[in-house]
Amino acid sequence: MPCWNCGATEPARFCAACKALQPPVREYFAFFELEPQLALDEKDLQQRFYALSRKLHPDLFSRKSPAENEHALEATSVLNDAYRTLRDPIARALYVLKLEGFDIGEQSTKDVPPELLEEVFELNMALEEARMGDADALAQLPGFCARFAAMRAETDLAIAQVSAAWDSTHDKPALSDLRGHLNRRKYITNLIDKTNVPDRV
Amino acid sequence: MAYSDKVLDHYNNPRNVGSLDRNSSTVGTGMVGAPECGDVMKLQIQVNDATGIIEDAKFKTFGCGSAIASSSLATEWLKGKSVDEALQIKNTDIVNELSLPPVKIHCSVLAEDAIKAAISDYRKKQGSEVAVPVAVSVA
Repeated sequence: MPCWNCGATEPARFCAACKALQPPVREYFAFFELEPQLALDEKDLQQRFYALSRKLHPDLFSRKSPAENEHALEATSVLNDAYRTLRDPIARALYVLKLEGFDIGEQSTKDVPPELLEEVFELNMALEEARMGDADALAQLPGFCARFAAMRAETDLAIAQVSAAWDSTHDKPALSDLRGHLNRRKYITNLIDKTNVPDRV
Repeated sequence: MAYSDKVLDHYNNPRNVGSLDRNSSTVGTGMVGAPECGDVMKLQIQVNDATGIIEDAKFKTFGCGSAIASSSLATEWLKGKSVDEALQIKNTDIVNELSLPPVKIHCSVLAEDAIKAAISDYRKKQGSEVAVPVAVSVA
């Protein structure tokens, strides 16, 4: 799309010819001028976020045209959403899966290995028994919590490994492994939550 | 979001919670899960060999109120039905009975999947490899 202000072709964030702010790119990695990647340098991302926050702050555009003002508001909103998503490894991984066409919200049982379901079911049974039991049973809860935390740490390690692998190969099977690890992590996180709080209704 | 009275009733007084002997040749077990919410549901049927009628059904669900109510209702409906009749139970029937809101429809899909998985397991044990269609309908 040419520059909305002067018609110059292929403007960057700011048009090289007239310096006008362009409507923001909606894809989060592209917004930060990064390639899609899972094992992101979070320090570098933070610096990009601060630099862009300074350049795009709507106050800087208050004396410009209403159109440019609007672009600044939109860009700031995308900036915040993009930073919130990309700085967190799990949110980032879910975002990459979505970009690559793996819809994490529309899975059914066939996407979950039966062993994982069996394991999660058994862990839930054991945890419920401890929660419903006497003082001795309740005393096991911290042990469960520690065990689940260790399982989550293992899963995070596996996620980090498969993330690095995908970044160098952009291999589809790596993404389905990633989705498997994220599913497992979600189940473990739920178990950890249940070691702390009463059952949700 | 408010749960309907029927959901609350099943949640507070779940029917047929428990388990059947999963090694028995007349018991079919379905274990299904929804990773996005971290739910896991086990549903079992006990079938009379001679009549083909489901004589008992048990479930255990770790999940939200709607997932528990959907599976509880499913076990109530399964009892007394033939296996073929049981396959006719659709997630939309559960949605209507429990007045599930759109965001909880996937709970009913999970229950339908569990029924189909249990029947599929039973048939496999009986040696008939008739494929059971997997639930696809969502609303």
